[in-house]
Amino acid sequence: MAAGDERALGELYDRHGSTVYALARAIVGERADTDEVVADTFGQAWRTAGQFDPARGSVTAWLATITRTRALDLVRARGRRARVLERAAQESDAGFAAPLATGDAPDRDVERQEARQLVAHSLADLPEAQRRVIELAYFGGLTHSEIATELKEPLGTVKTRLRAGMEKLRDALTPRVSRVGEP
Amino acid sequence: MTGHSWMELAAPYAVGALDPAERVEFERHLETCAECRADVQGFREVTGQLAHGVTPSAPPTELRDRVLRRAREVRPLPVRRRPTALIWAAAAAVVVAMVGSYGAWRASSEARALRSSLAAAEAERDSTRQVLAALLDSSVATTDLAATGKAPSMRLYWNRARNIVVIAAFDLPPAPAGRTYQLWAIEKGRAPVSVGVFNSTPTGRAVVTLQMPAGVKPAVSAVTEEPAGGSPQPTQQPFLVGSW
Repeated sequence: MAAGDERALGELYDRHGSTVYALARAIVGERADTDEVVADTFGQAWRTAGQFDPARGSVTAWLATITRTRALDLVRARGRRARVLERAAQESDAGFAAPLATGDAPDRDVERQEARQLVAHSLADLPEAQRRVIELAYFGGLTHSEIATELKEPLGTVKTRLRAGMEKLRDALTPRVSRVGEP
Repeated sequence: MTGHSWMELAAPYAVGALDPAERVEFERHLETCAECRADVQGFREVTGQLAHGVTPSAPPTELRDRVLRRAREVRPLPVRRRPTALIWAAAAAVVVAMVGSYGAWRASSEARALRSSLAAAEAERDSTRQVLAALLDSSVATTDLAATGKAPSMRLYWNRARNIVVIAAFDLPPAPAGRTYQLWAIEKGRAPVSVGVFNSTPTGRAVVTLQMPAGVKPAVSAVTEEPAGGSPQPTQQPFLVGSW
């Protein structure tokens, strides 16, 4: 493999490595596993780069999808789902809510810090119940039914909250894209 | 066609929250619906943005070498375009998104908005074409579904060559919140098979294209109202029934 190829991947890692790492860490928790997930994620990105179409979505969305899939697979494979659920079930912001809610840690990258603040504010604007449902799906990999069981809420309520929360986030995070497919 | 009930599934699908049966059904729908695909991508962008909301955690410095080492062991899948070029394109896109000024961010956001409008327009066009193509075919059979009473009414166009069913419904009020309409194909002496879920607009109209499951040759088609996402089997008596 030519040195140039590696430089391209290195560039991608330099731009996105810390975001991928932080996301993987938030899902799997343990450091060694996080490293594994990050290496897997960039390995898969490298292998499947041909399927990525910049016209159809951002690099961030592409990498985040791979990262979440890999991380959640690993959590399930390790049989650690119970622990993830336990963390997820904690009501307070100190529990599972913290990773999404904390947005003010210093970062040398101003742009990334701005992105972080925008996300933090958008999440803070969500009703708590909607945020929790999204967190359970996003970090815990739970489906509608599993979330309903976990929270002892009716399935319909869970579905409505998840959708409403995601729609609000879409409006807040990508204001100009939000009208797709709506009358 | 806008606001059809599949749209409700785009957000949970993008975040991975659909239950397996729903997911399979929705993925089948995505193959034929550009509008829903655009919607899913919109929500995928949200899941990407959310990665920035995670507590920052600095990767160990040696991880970079490990990532590059791993890449050396992995052969990129053969693609038409060279992966290197795409990786560079991806990296360049990131440079614009992350290093660019606020102005660049605005510009890229406007570009995204334009792409979205274009995608929506294309979706609308695709959907119209799809309906037309399905209708203008010698293999098309039609049947009218009648209700006990008068309104609503529905006509089905079944393109047997391509296994496509176009629904045209009239005077059908939209399903209540959390509910959906579901079309069933019933073969003689067998359990109903779901053709798909749909909803009508506030004006009581629905023009929806669904895929008839392969190999199913219904004697009767029927419509029930089901919980959002549809049911594996009807949970109530159909209110619209027609035979082929």
